[in-house]
Amino acid sequence: MQFREALRSAMTEEMERDDRVFLMGEEVAQYNGAYKISEGMLEKFGDKRVIDTPISEAGFAGLGVGAAMTGLRPIIEFMSWSFSLVCMDQIVNNAANVRYMSGGQFKVPIVFRGGNGIAHQLAATHSHRMESVFARIPGLIVVAPSTPAEAKGLLKSSIRCDDPVIFLESEKMLAETGSVPDEAEYLLPLGVAKVEREGSDVTIVSYGRPLQRVVRTAVEALAADHGIDAELIDARTLRPLDTETILASIRKTHRCVIVDEDWGYCGMGSGILYKLQKPAFDDLDAPIEYVHSDEIPVPFSHPLEEAMLPSVDRIVSAVREVCYR
Amino acid sequence: MMMLIRRFEERTYQEYTRPGQKIGGFCHLYSGQEAIAVGTAALFDTSRDYLVNGYRCHGHSLALGMDPRAAMAELFGKSTGCSKGKGGSMHLFDARVGNMGGHGIVGGQLPLAVGMGFTQSYTKTGGVTFVFMGDGAVNQGTHNESLNLASLYKLPVIFVVENNGVAMGTQVERSSAETDLAKRGSGYAMPHWNVDGNDIDTVIAEFGKAVERGRTGKGPSYISANTFRFRGHSMSDPMKYRSKDQIERARQRDPIVMYEARLLEHALATQEQIDQLHEETAAEINEATTQADADPHPQLNERFDDVLAEQYPYQPK
Repeated sequence: MQFREALRSAMTEEMERDDRVFLMGEEVAQYNGAYKISEGMLEKFGDKRVIDTPISEAGFAGLGVGAAMTGLRPIIEFMSWSFSLVCMDQIVNNAANVRYMSGGQFKVPIVFRGGNGIAHQLAATHSHRMESVFARIPGLIVVAPSTPAEAKGLLKSSIRCDDPVIFLESEKMLAETGSVPDEAEYLLPLGVAKVEREGSDVTIVSYGRPLQRVVRTAVEALAADHGIDAELIDARTLRPLDTETILASIRKTHRCVIVDEDWGYCGMGSGILYKLQKPAFDDLDAPIEYVHSDEIPVPFSHPLEEAMLPSVDRIVSAVREVCYR
Repeated sequence: MMMLIRRFEERTYQEYTRPGQKIGGFCHLYSGQEAIAVGTAALFDTSRDYLVNGYRCHGHSLALGMDPRAAMAELFGKSTGCSKGKGGSMHLFDARVGNMGGHGIVGGQLPLAVGMGFTQSYTKTGGVTFVFMGDGAVNQGTHNESLNLASLYKLPVIFVVENNGVAMGTQVERSSAETDLAKRGSGYAMPHWNVDGNDIDTVIAEFGKAVERGRTGKGPSYISANTFRFRGHSMSDPMKYRSKDQIERARQRDPIVMYEARLLEHALATQEQIDQLHEETAAEINEATTQADADPHPQLNERFDDVLAEQYPYQPK
């Protein structure tokens, strides 16, 4: 099943299960989705539940929050998470704060989802990696699937969750195929990381698009070319982060490398590092390495764009450094 | 109720400015604008309507039935406050009656109102959502987006600009190219009109038309309720931008004074009854303030409560 089909199937099943769930966003209905994720859903559910919006991110993001505060369960699609920059107030001040600020009078069961990060030559405005922006906000849950199976299981759980979920996909993952369990209720827990590959020499932590783009390849290269047996952890949920699973792995391997496509300073990996540094200190045989993008706006030129991103080579070098070989 | 709000606000002013100040943070008083909130409450059905607000939210909250003690305790940051001391003056909430809160960011509440109207339309309750904003909010981007969405989807949202003439210290003439703020609701295929926001009977009659539109599925309305605030924007504001003359003229159009005169004129109340009501509300506010003052601060570990609704790791049901 394709990643996009997994997302569609999660939304479809949850909309069949609960008529409070609806999908809203730019081009989700008549156009069948800018990236065809919601293809056929208008026909199936009608225009009351699959709703096209004008280009008004602050308007429809806030609409979703207001609807969630009053008992519905919206799925709000952003064509790109980069566009969420114009509706930050609705997500940060309204979705994340309203429960706390009201002394717990409201739940905000909403999923904001869409493509995050660098796609392909979309230049600086359309290539933002928003995970660290949202993962630092108390009151939000941040989820980043890296396979079609995770896309389905995590999205279904996100829709059922009573808290606001930031769900980070990638345009470049939508055509990726993978097996998705054919269970009626395929649900994955939020806040639980997955040990994707067991290994003994080093713990590699990543998630979402970077995991799919380069990290898995790097792990194979490490085994084949350098005899390094890496344990690979897919964080899956970035807030709250499952530090237990990561720390248990570090206690075994004594080495850790974090990989993402964020900028390093105040990036997602910096936040993960902050959570690990002290509790892992006595178990570490080397400082934790963090492989991230270059700290520049995202260039349009294909070679420049590729060059700014973590590569297999960069990951291999970082791993060899912490392994001292 | 207008008297109660006025007493509450003037007591708030005293508590904020007296030595050993008990009210922290920003605090925006509603004195002078009471007819709008109280007129709204007269039309409001707490079983299906919603009210969502900017930060000048004490008056509407009291008008919808919030216990003055819970409101004052929230201003004091006490655990008995309506938001358990976590929201403060700008963020009074009372979900049980459809009071969906004061919101601190100018214009940030407008999309929320559209969403509440969306729920009412989606679930066909016949309810309406009142959203209040100041004359400053009409210049935020969310104003355009929200008006368009509400009208596009024909949602039962009633946009009310409480036009007191000044966005903080910037007069409407210096912030809005179109100074007739009702016209800022034009271009969205919805009716938009001006209302005398100081006359409670007018407010009830005119807002009633918008309620009727909303309840019968005809969509949103946009009203500029023109009024005057007697106090500064917030507590640190001495109102140097208002002339003595302006203030004197506004005092003559005080919604409470106007309504009392009307009651007397039509022999619906005697001066003695009015005086007695003043005394009763004063006593009620005194008592609420004394209680709020005696109420406890939140326990320190309560600061971790109410961040999220679920436990994590979250196992879906």
